[in-house]
Amino acid sequence: MSGPRPDAYWDAAIVGAGHNALVTAAYLAKAGLRTVVLERRERVGGAADTTQLAKNIRVPTLAHTVGRLRPSIQKELELRRHGLSLVAPEVRVFAPQPGGGGAVTLWANATRTAGALGADGDGYLQFDRRVRLLGRFLDELGRSTPPDIKSPGLVDALAGLRLGAAFKGLGRDGSRTILRVLPMAIADLVAESVEDDALRGVLAWRGVRFGAVGPWSAGTAAMLLLDAAGNAGGAAGETVFARGGAGALSEALAAAARAAGATIRTSAPVARITTRDGRATGVVLEDGEEIQARAVVSGADPKRTLVDLVDPVAIGPSLGWRASNIRTPGVVAKVNLALKKLPTFPAAAGDESLLRGRIVVAPGIDPMERAFDATKYGRFSDQPILEATIPSLADPSLVEGARAGTHVMSVIAQYAPYWLRDGSWDEATGGREAFGDAVVAVLESVAPGIGKLVSHRQVLTPPDLEREYGLTGGHPLHAEAGLDQFFVWRPLLGHARYRLGLERLYLCGSGAHPGGGVTGGPGQNAAREIMRDLRRRG
Amino acid sequence: MPQRYDAIVIGGGHNGLVSAAYLARGGLKTVVLERRHVLGGAAVTEEVFPGFRFSVFSYVVSLLRPEIIRELDLPRHGLDILPLDGTFTPVYEGTGRTPPKDGNGNPIGTGDYLWRVNDHGRTVRELRRWSRLDAEAYEEYGPLMVDMARFIKPILGIVPPDPASIDPRPLLPLGGLLRSFQKLTERQQAVFVQLMTMSAYDFLTQWFETDPLVATMSASGIIGTYQGIKSPGTAYVLLHHYMGEIDGAFRAWGIPKGGTGGISNAIGDAARANGAEIRTEAPVATIRVAGGRASGVVLESGEELEADTVISTVDVRRTFLDLMEPGTVDPEFEAEVRRFKFRGSSGKVNLALDALPSFTALPGEGEHLRGAISISPTVDDMERAYDDAKYNRFSVKPYIDIVIPTLVDPSMAPPGKHVMSCFVQYAPYKLDPSLGTWDEQREAFGDAVVNRIAEFAPDLPSKILHRQVMTPLDIERTAGLSEGNIFQGELSLEQLFFSRPVPGWARFRTPIRDLWLGGSSTHPGGGIMGANGRIAALEVLRSKRRRP
Repeated sequence: MSGPRPDAYWDAAIVGAGHNALVTAAYLAKAGLRTVVLERRERVGGAADTTQLAKNIRVPTLAHTVGRLRPSIQKELELRRHGLSLVAPEVRVFAPQPGGGGAVTLWANATRTAGALGADGDGYLQFDRRVRLLGRFLDELGRSTPPDIKSPGLVDALAGLRLGAAFKGLGRDGSRTILRVLPMAIADLVAESVEDDALRGVLAWRGVRFGAVGPWSAGTAAMLLLDAAGNAGGAAGETVFARGGAGALSEALAAAARAAGATIRTSAPVARITTRDGRATGVVLEDGEEIQARAVVSGADPKRTLVDLVDPVAIGPSLGWRASNIRTPGVVAKVNLALKKLPTFPAAAGDESLLRGRIVVAPGIDPMERAFDATKYGRFSDQPILEATIPSLADPSLVEGARAGTHVMSVIAQYAPYWLRDGSWDEATGGREAFGDAVVAVLESVAPGIGKLVSHRQVLTPPDLEREYGLTGGHPLHAEAGLDQFFVWRPLLGHARYRLGLERLYLCGSGAHPGGGVTGGPGQNAAREIMRDLRRRG
Repeated sequence: MPQRYDAIVIGGGHNGLVSAAYLARGGLKTVVLERRHVLGGAAVTEEVFPGFRFSVFSYVVSLLRPEIIRELDLPRHGLDILPLDGTFTPVYEGTGRTPPKDGNGNPIGTGDYLWRVNDHGRTVRELRRWSRLDAEAYEEYGPLMVDMARFIKPILGIVPPDPASIDPRPLLPLGGLLRSFQKLTERQQAVFVQLMTMSAYDFLTQWFETDPLVATMSASGIIGTYQGIKSPGTAYVLLHHYMGEIDGAFRAWGIPKGGTGGISNAIGDAARANGAEIRTEAPVATIRVAGGRASGVVLESGEELEADTVISTVDVRRTFLDLMEPGTVDPEFEAEVRRFKFRGSSGKVNLALDALPSFTALPGEGEHLRGAISISPTVDDMERAYDDAKYNRFSVKPYIDIVIPTLVDPSMAPPGKHVMSCFVQYAPYKLDPSLGTWDEQREAFGDAVVNRIAEFAPDLPSKILHRQVMTPLDIERTAGLSEGNIFQGELSLEQLFFSRPVPGWARFRTPIRDLWLGGSSTHPGGGIMGANGRIAALEVLRSKRRRP
C-alpha cells in the first residue's frame, strides 16, 4: 500500500487564522512540525484586522491597539523583521468629560499623571503601584499552564512551586490583598484609592471593557488586573498602535509562521473536526476536502469548537451540556468613522497630541453602570461608554491618498447586547444605525460638530461580529472573562490545559487561559503544550 | 473593686449566647452583656402591638448548626421548630401557563402561581404545568445541590487559615477539603466552581427556563446582599441558604415556636444552665485595652468589669471603631476595618392582621399561606428592584418574602387574628439625598411594600390593624447592626473565609491580645447559624488548653 500524499498529512491542523492561531502556528512550525492553518475568511487576522472603510481610508476593524502583545512573542518570532512596526504615544488615555467638564489625562509616566490630579495624585500612584504588583503575579499565572487538579503531576508540582514563589513574592500584604481584590467590583477597588468620580470612571473602564458586566459587578477588578498583566501599562493601561492597523500585526505573525514553514490557507472554511475512537483525526472543509492531522488545534471559540465543529457523540452529553453553557454574552459594538478633518475636543484646548492615545468617554461609575443596565433588559444603551482612537494621527499610512486632513476614528462602544428584546439589529429604525447615532451623539458631547465631519460610518453589532468573525454571541474575548471562566476553569474545569475534550484536540484562542485581548498568550501557551504531547507520543 | 470574670461576651445575640454557653460549659466564669432589655439581637420576639408578637428582624431558621442543638441540648431548653412547607409565588395575570382549574374544570382564580412544596412529586407535577424540561431538570438539580452543600458544609466548621502565613498547620483542613473535592465527579467540581463564582441567575438558567421559577429560586442568592440576582457571587449565597436544608435536623426552613426570640431564649437558658451570667440593659461603652491586651469593659453606666478574655459578638466596625478609643489598634488594621463593607439592603415590615389576605391567583385560605409567599413574579422585577437600590432608592416593586407565623403558631396573635412578616429587598441604607432621610421615607417605604403585595392580594390593606416598618436605619438603631446589614457585613466573595472580616485576621483572634470576635462578621457569616460563636468559643478554650 502506498503512503499518504506528502501534503495530505499534517502534524497540526489549525482552525482559524486569528492572532493566537498564527502565534501557535509559528511556534509549532519553528519546532519543525508540519503545520497548516485553515482560515474561513479571505485574509488572516480574525479580529486583529484592518479593512478598507472607504477609498484610500483604512481602519482597524475591531481591535485597535496591540499594546498587550507579549514581548517574548515579538522577540522570539522576530516580528519586527517580519514587518511589525509599533507606535506608542506618550499619552495613554484622554478622558474628556461631556458638556465641557474638563478632562482626565493618563500619561505613560504615572508621576506626570499624578501631578495633574491634585488631591487624588497620591491615591493614583498608590493605585498604579497596586495594579503593577498584582499584575505581575497574574502575569506569572498567565504564562503558566493551569495545574491539573485531578492528577497533579511533577510538572504541575513545579509550576505550583513557581506560582507559590510568585505568591510569596507578593509579600504578606500583597498575598492577602490579591485574594481579597480578585473577586472585587472595580468600582469598590478604585474607590479605595481615588475620590474624583471622573477619574474613577476612566480607571474602572478596563475592568468592564468587552464584558457583560458593570463596574459594580464582582470580578471586574480581576479583569483590570488581567489587562495590566504582562505589560507596562499600570493604572493607565497600554496604548500601542501597529502601523497599518491591527491587521498589520496579523500579517507579521503570518509572515513569521510562513517563514518557519507553516502553510496558511485562506478561504478554507472548516466544516467539522473529524474524530475516531475519541481522538481528533483531522478536519473536513466545507467543500468536502479532508485534511488529516496528528493534532487538531482550534483557534475558534470553545463553544463553537465543541458545539458546532465536533460530533456531539464524541464528546458525550455531559461535556456537551457544559460547553453549551459557556457564557458568551457579547455587549460590544464597533463603530468606525471616516472624518473629513480632525474633530475639535474643547477639553484638549487645541493640543492635538492629547488625541493620540485612547479617548475614553466613561463619565463616572454610575453612568457606566446605567449604560450596562440596559443590556439586562435586551436594550442597547442610549448613553454608551466609548473607547475611541484616531490611529491616523500616529499612522498617516491609514489615510494615504485620501483627501488632505482626512482621519479615521475607531470606536469601541458598550453596551450593545447580542439580543435585542424588541425588534432586531437589522431593522431600519431602532437597530444598527440607531445605535450608531447614539455613539455619535455621545461623541458630540465631547467633540461638538464631529457629526458633520463624518463622511463614512461603519457599525458592527455583536451579531455582525459573530457573522463576520465567527465569534459566538459576538463576544470579542471568545468567552466572558468572568470569575466563573477563569484560570483553572477557562473555558471549562478539566479542559483548561489547552487539551479540549478529545485526545489530540487543542484550544489556542482567547477562550483558553489567560484569555482574550491581543496578547498571543493563549496561542503561545497552547503551542508549548501541543509540542509536549506530539513529542512525547508519536 | 470591679467584678472579675474569666470571659466577657459583648452582645446577647444568638452568637453571643452560643459562645457564652460553650465558654461556661468549658468552665469559664462568663458574663453576657446585652444592651437591650430583651435577648437575641436580631433574633428577637417582641410584642410590638398588644397581643401581637413579631419576630421583629430574622423570622425563619434553617441554618442553626445541628451540633449546637445537640451539644447544648436546646430542645430541653425549649427550642421547638415548626415546619414551614413550600414557597408560593403568585405571578401577573396573563403570564401563567395553563391556568389552574378546580375539579369542575373552572379556573380557580384569576392569574396564575408557581407553588413548590416539600413533597417532591407534587412540586414536579406543578413544574410540569409550566415546563416539562424544568420538571426534568428539577429532578437532577435537587440532588446535585444537596451534594454540593454536603461537600461545602465542613467549611462552616473550619477556622480559616491565613494564606500569607508560613505555618502550614492551619492549612491542613484545606487539604482534607481538596481531597474530597478530588473525589467529586468533574461535573460536580465544575458546578461547585460555578456556585463560588457565578450569579444566581446565570447558574440557575443552566437548568431552568420558567421565569417565575428562576426569579424565586435566585431570590435566596440576594438575601442580605447589596447585589442583584444577575451579579456574580450571588450563587454562593444561594448555596449558603441551601446548607441548612441538608442537616437532617430539619430538612427545610422552619419557624421557631414563639418566634425567633424562642431560639435566643433557648440558647440563653442553656448558657445559664451551664453557669453563665446574662445581663440585659447593660450596654458596653468601651473595651478596656492596656499594653496591647484587653482587660475588661466599661459599661455606659460607668460600671467596670474585668476579664482575662473579651469576646465581642457585635460587628467588627462597632467593636474597633465604636467601642475603642481611637488609635487603639494600628492604622493599617483600622483601615481594613473601615474598608469592610456593610451596605444594609433589606427592610422588614411586620403586619398585624384582622384576618388572612386572599391572593387572586388562589383565593381564600389554604395550605399555600402556610409556607413562604414569595413576591418574585419575574426575573426583570427582581433585577429592577436591585437597579433602584444601586442608585440609592428603595425598590418601587421590591422582592418580598412573606410568612404568616400564626398559621403554624397561633400563640403569636389574639385568637382569629394573624401576624404577617415581610422581608423586603431592596432598601439601601444610604438614600439618595433627594429622598431625604429614612426617618422621612419610612412610611412611604411601608406603603410601597403593602401596595406591592396588594398587586397580588388586593384585600390586604383592608385587613391591616397595625404596621411596623423597619428600615435599615431602624435595624441599625435597634439591633445595633452597622448600616443595618443583617449579616454583620456583606456576604460578598471578597469578604468570605480568610478575608472575613479582615485578611489575615479570620481566625477569630484580633490584633489585641485576649480580644476575640464571635459574631456574624466572622467566618462563616450570617444567618441564625451560631457557628461563629461556637468556633470562637472553642478557639478561646483551646487557647486556654481547656477541653470544651
